[in-house]
Amino acid sequence: MSNHLTPETLSALVDGELPVDQLAQANEHLSACPTCTSSALAQSLLKSAAAKTAPRYAPPAHLQVQLARMARQEGIPTQRSTTESAPRPSINLAFAGWASAFALLLILGFVIYYTRNTLQKTKSTADFAGLVTEASDQHVATLAANLPPQVLSSDRHTVKPWFQGRLPFSFNLPDNLPGDVRLEGANLTYLHGHPAALLLYSIGKHRASVFVMEKNSGKVSDPMSVDHEGFHVLGFSTNDLEVVAVSDVDPARLSELVDMLHNAQALASQPANAY
Amino acid sequence: MTLLSFKRAARESAPQAPGFEELALPSLPSLYNVAYWLSRDATEAEDLVQETFLKALRGFSSFEPGSNFKAWIFRILRNTYLTSRTGLAAVRTVALEDELPSGADSQAAPYPAGAIDLQTPEINLIQLSDRAVLQAAIEKLPPPLLEVILLCDLEEMKYREIAQVLEVPIGTVMSRIARARAALRRSFEESNALPRGFRA
Repeated sequence: MSNHLTPETLSALVDGELPVDQLAQANEHLSACPTCTSSALAQSLLKSAAAKTAPRYAPPAHLQVQLARMARQEGIPTQRSTTESAPRPSINLAFAGWASAFALLLILGFVIYYTRNTLQKTKSTADFAGLVTEASDQHVATLAANLPPQVLSSDRHTVKPWFQGRLPFSFNLPDNLPGDVRLEGANLTYLHGHPAALLLYSIGKHRASVFVMEKNSGKVSDPMSVDHEGFHVLGFSTNDLEVVAVSDVDPARLSELVDMLHNAQALASQPANAY
Repeated sequence: MTLLSFKRAARESAPQAPGFEELALPSLPSLYNVAYWLSRDATEAEDLVQETFLKALRGFSSFEPGSNFKAWIFRILRNTYLTSRTGLAAVRTVALEDELPSGADSQAAPYPAGAIDLQTPEINLIQLSDRAVLQAAIEKLPPPLLEVILLCDLEEMKYREIAQVLEVPIGTVMSRIARARAALRRSFEESNALPRGFRA
């Protein structure tokens, strides 16, 4: 095939930066060109790998406190080594001195709390965005690969036991799926660096990928229901498991499947927390 | 109903634009991370960020409320870096953007033909989790390519924001990102750590 997508177009595609008209052209080309599809997936993996594995360097605590003070215009040190600024002109009133010290203490406490809170929020948001992106990427990659699942069966009593010895946890699969919902099979995969079961469902003519992985913290996650690059991503957690579903099907249909999966875990008498 | 003058004044000025502190402190981790990557030195990164904060604080009156603060303060960081000792050395030893190898990638021949070639997720994960290889590959990037990868992939900035930070057209940003990723792929190939899918 000639006129392959340029590296700039492929990069812009995986960065979500292509204008609508160019995106349509690129998608049309990708649907007919396995070479460019393969390159786009490789670029996407490279991007997520760089984001995930490149180390992030965190500012030292003393710098945060110092810059917070600077931001509040309480003092503007001119060099890094002048953390302890020169004493200000003394105020004769002892009360004013104590009041200033107390106020400074309060402000420092607030700044430390605020900075820590901001860092935690940033990390949590980045983790969540990373999970959604990785799940969507794997969903797309699975569709593009068009390979038969590692376990090819619509029988839950075949699919579930296949994971014995392959995953350090177990889960239940729902029975009595609606007429046009079908379990196509499953793969063993990794999500967010953890082993996971990738259950492949079809809902009508749409495909849905359901990732089941072990919960790595006792804390119940926040509700997950987001749209990412045209895909709907829904999730729930129990005390032991985390489940994420990705599909381009109508959100109500995907939610129906997710609810059935959730009920199946509850039937296994695991204490569950829905969201 | 008559309002007291000070209450009326307070009401009129109620919707206040966020102050420097509210805008700048959340950017601190990102600024420090990029400063560290550029300078490869904790002390110098600290100095860069502190000087950036100082310049931003002094010039905050020129910042237009409602515009992109992150791009604004990152531009200050970049200019501070370029005038620092490390930045000047990098500019001297590394080709300027016009001298960077260009065209070879953007005008490259089509990728070799072949069907979609994906390895299993497990193998991809193992290969991609080699932090040392990836870090070495990123560290080998020349500064103009390193900074676009940092801003795009690590800091998740949009091309428009990156163009504002670097003060270049968006087309240049696109070209540099493509070249940076091509360079990373070459590094992976050289280290024999690239999964097959990456060689397409």
